[in-house]
Amino acid sequence: MKIKIIILLILPALLTGCWDNVDLIDINLVTALGIDKSEDGKIIVTVQVIEPAALQSTSSSQGKVGMAQTKPVFVESYKGETISDALISMKAMVDKRLFLSTVQVIILGEKLCREGVNEALDFLHRDYQVEYLADVLVARGCSPKDILKIQPEMDVIPAMYIKGTIENTELRAKVKRTMLVELFKDIENKCRQITIGQITKENEKTVNTEGTAVFKDGKLVGWLNQYETRGFLFVTDRVKNTIITIPMANGKMSIRVLNSRGKMDVKFKNGRPYRLSIYVDLEGNIAEYTGKKVLDAPTDMHTLQMTLSEEVKKEIAMALRKAQKEYSSDIFGFGKIVHKYHPQYWKQTMDQWNDIFSSLPTEIVIKSRIRRSGLIKSPMTKDE
Amino acid sequence: MFRKIKRHLRLGKQQINIDTIYTGIDEPLPKNIEKVKKRLDEIFSGCDDFIQRQMVCGEDECIRILVSYIDGLVDKNILNRDIIRPVIDYLSSKQAHDEPKLVYQRIKECVVSSSDFEEIQSMQQAVYKIVSGDAVLFVDGVKDALAVNVKTMQGRQIDEPDTEISIRGPREGFVENLATNMMLIRKRIKSPNLKFEIIQLGVQTKTDVCICYIKGIANEEIVKEVRKRLKKIKTDAILDTGYIEQYITDNRLTLFPIVGNTEKCDKLVAKLLEGRVAILCDGTPYIITVPYIFIESIQTSDDYYDHAFFASFMRLLRSFALIISNLLPAMYVALVSFHHTVIPIKLMITLAASRQGIPFSPFVEAVLMITAFELLREAGVRMPRTIGQALSIVGAIVLGEASVAAGIASNLMVIVVAITAICSFVVPPLIRATMLLRFAFLVAANFLGFLGISFVAVAVFIHLCRLRSFGIPYMAPFSPLTASDIKDSLGVVPIWAMLTRPKILFPENTKDTVGIKRQEVDEISED
Repeated sequence: MKIKIIILLILPALLTGCWDNVDLIDINLVTALGIDKSEDGKIIVTVQVIEPAALQSTSSSQGKVGMAQTKPVFVESYKGETISDALISMKAMVDKRLFLSTVQVIILGEKLCREGVNEALDFLHRDYQVEYLADVLVARGCSPKDILKIQPEMDVIPAMYIKGTIENTELRAKVKRTMLVELFKDIENKCRQITIGQITKENEKTVNTEGTAVFKDGKLVGWLNQYETRGFLFVTDRVKNTIITIPMANGKMSIRVLNSRGKMDVKFKNGRPYRLSIYVDLEGNIAEYTGKKVLDAPTDMHTLQMTLSEEVKKEIAMALRKAQKEYSSDIFGFGKIVHKYHPQYWKQTMDQWNDIFSSLPTEIVIKSRIRRSGLIKSPMTKDE
Repeated sequence: MFRKIKRHLRLGKQQINIDTIYTGIDEPLPKNIEKVKKRLDEIFSGCDDFIQRQMVCGEDECIRILVSYIDGLVDKNILNRDIIRPVIDYLSSKQAHDEPKLVYQRIKECVVSSSDFEEIQSMQQAVYKIVSGDAVLFVDGVKDALAVNVKTMQGRQIDEPDTEISIRGPREGFVENLATNMMLIRKRIKSPNLKFEIIQLGVQTKTDVCICYIKGIANEEIVKEVRKRLKKIKTDAILDTGYIEQYITDNRLTLFPIVGNTEKCDKLVAKLLEGRVAILCDGTPYIITVPYIFIESIQTSDDYYDHAFFASFMRLLRSFALIISNLLPAMYVALVSFHHTVIPIKLMITLAASRQGIPFSPFVEAVLMITAFELLREAGVRMPRTIGQALSIVGAIVLGEASVAAGIASNLMVIVVAITAICSFVVPPLIRATMLLRFAFLVAANFLGFLGISFVAVAVFIHLCRLRSFGIPYMAPFSPLTASDIKDSLGVVPIWAMLTRPKILFPENTKDTVGIKRQEVDEISED
C-alpha cells in the first residue's frame, strides 16, 4: 500500500514531461538585438544570431568532417506591432527558438529614441530572458540593422567586437557606457535624465563608439561629441583613464589622467538654488611631449597643471552649456543633490527642474596635479 | 515486497537441519583404540587426506597409540619432532609404563613437547580438532585423548595491501590467517586490555570469528551489541567479513557503507584506539569495524601522519570530489537542458558548438558515456591482468576519441565523465554508493533541472541523517552536532591537539566513560 502511494506520488512528476527541457542545439543564440521604428510606426526588430559550430570551425580551422561550412553569424529583421510580436513573427524565418540571454549589445534606432525609448524598455524589462548587463547603444545616422550587418575582421561575432570597442572607449572616457539595468533604474528617475552611448558606422568592417546620446523625459534630444562626453564623464566621476592633449609653446603635450574624482553641488540661498558647482580633482602623468623646452623647474609644472585644468574646464563647460542651453536636460544628476538635501524644494519644483537647471549659473573648480614625467625628464630634442 | 522475500528466506532456512554434521557423532570416545580408529575411518570415509598413524610398543604390544590428523593441515616436521619422535623414544625407553593410564599421563605431562594441547573427551570434539588442523593422540584403554596444535602456518606473506595505499606510514597489511592478524594487532597494542573473543560461525565452515576491542576504551554497550548480533547469525558458511557485514548492519537496504572495513594494520589499530570494535574473520584479510560513520569515508591514515594543514586541505578536496562525482553529470545535463540563462556567453558558444550534430539528448548521452565508463571499470577489475593494456587502449580510443569523432558524444561530455570518474576514485569507500546515486541525480536533472537535483539531494540527506550504525548517528559529528568531534571531520587538527576520542561513540553518560580522554592536557603543556 505504502509503495503504491509512493509510486503514485512519483508518477505525476515523471509524466508531466519536460516542457522546459530544451537542448542547446534547439536554440538560436542571439548576441545582439536591434530595435527601431519604421516610417509607418511599426517596430523593426533585428537579431544577430551566431552559429556556434561554424564559429568554432572558423576559429580553430578544423571543422567537423562532413559539415557544410556555414556563416558564423546571420542577421535577420522583422517588422511587427510590438517587439515581442516581431520576435515571435520572426520564427517564420528562423528555424529555432530565439534565446535572448546571450544578448551582448542592444542597439536602439534614432527614430525610436526620438519618439521615446520607454516603448522598447518595457519588453526588455518584462521578459525574464533578457540579460540585464547588456550594453545599450543608440545608432546615429544609420539603422541598427546596418550596424549589426558589419563584418568585422577583428572578431567573428560583430556583437563581441562592438562590446569590445565600447569597453575600450569607456576606458578612454569617450563614451558613456550604459547597461540595460542602469536604464531601468534611470528611466523613471526625475533627478537625472538618461544618456546612452552612441554608435556610428565607419565602414563595412568597423564601427565607432564615441559620443553620447542625450535624452529628455525618455526622448532623444541631441548628442554630445567625444570631448563633451569626456567633460560630462569628468563631472559624473566616471573617468578611469584618458589622454588629454594640451597645446604648449612650441608643440603639444599629452597628459594621461590616472585618477579623477568629480563632485557636484547645488548652492542654495534663501531656499532657492542660485548656483551649480562642479569640483574635479585629477591626477596624471606626462605621456608625451613634442615640445623642446626642458621641464625641470617647479613653476613649469605649476603652469602645466594650470593649462591642464583649463583644458578640462573647457570640456566640462562645453558639455554643461549643451545640456543647459541646447537640450535643457539635467543629464548630470544635479536633481539628485536637490532631492537629497532640499527635499521640500524638490517636491515643489520636481516637474520644472530641467528649466531651473538650465537657467542656473555655474561654477567649475578644477584641481589638477601632474605626478611624474615618465621615464625621461627632458624632451628628446632640446633647444638649440 | 522485501518482507515477503525475507519470510520466504526464513522458511528456507528452517529446512536446513542445523548441525547435521555433528549431531550423528555426539558420543563419548570409546576406550578401545580399534573402535576409535574404525569410527574415525567411518566418519572420514572418502577423505583421502585423513591419516591415522598407529604406534605399537611394549611387551605383548600392550601399549597402542593412535595419532590422527589431516594431511596438509598439520606441519609434518613439527608433528614428527613434537609428537611421533618423543612418543617412540619414550615407548622404547626403559621408563615406559605398562599401565595405559600412566602412559597417557606421562605422555601428556612430559613427552609431547608442544606448548599448545588440549584434552578432549568426546568424538565430536575429536573430529572438530582434527578438521581444524590439530593432531589427536589416542591411547588404547584411555577414555581421553590429546589434541596437539601442530597447525602449519602456511599462507600469504604479510604484504602491503593493494586496496589501501598510503604514502606514509606502516605498510603491513592483514593476511588470511586469523592468528597472524591477531598477532599483528597485539604487536601494536601491548596491553592486556586488548581483548580477543573468538566464536565459531557457520554450520559447515565453523569459521573462527573474533571480536576485538580495547576494554576501557570501547563502549561496552556496543561490544555487547556486536556479540548479540554475531550470535544471531545462523548460516551455512562465513567466507569473508562481507558475509558478517551484511548480517549485522542496522539498515540492510541502504546504499551507504555503515560497516567499515580495512586491510591496513595501523588503520585498524587507530580505530580500536578511538573506541571502535573490530570483527576479524579467519580466512580473509578484511577486518570490519563498527560503528562506522559517514565522515570515516574521507579519512585516511595519511591525514594523521602528515601535517595538519595539508591533511585538512586533502580532506576538503576529498569532500569536494565526492560532491563532484555525484553531481557533475547531473549538473551538466541540467545546465544544458534547462538553465541556459546562467551560462556565460563564451562558455555557451563552446557548449553549443560541442553539442552541434550530436543525435542524442544530453541525458541519453550522459547515461551512455557513464555506462561505458562503468563497464570499462568493471572489466578492468575482472579481467586477467595480462590483457589490461589492451583494454585501456580500447577504452581510451573508443571512449575518448572515436565517440567524439563519430559524433555520438560531445567533447564536453567526455570531459565531464572523465572528471567524474577521477573524482569517484578519490573516496573509495563510497564508490558504489555514488555510482548509483549519480544515475538518480541524472534522471532528476533531466526531469526538473536543478530543482530535481535539489529534491534528490534533500532525500539523500534525510536518508543519511536517519541512518544509524550500531546506534550511532551516521552523519555525526554534523547531525547531531558534536562540537568536540568537528576536530576530525572536514578538517583535521594536529595530532597533539586531538585531546579526546570521538565523543559520539559514547552516547550515554559520557562523563563516566574512562576512555574518552586521549591524553592529559598537562603533559602537552610541559613540552
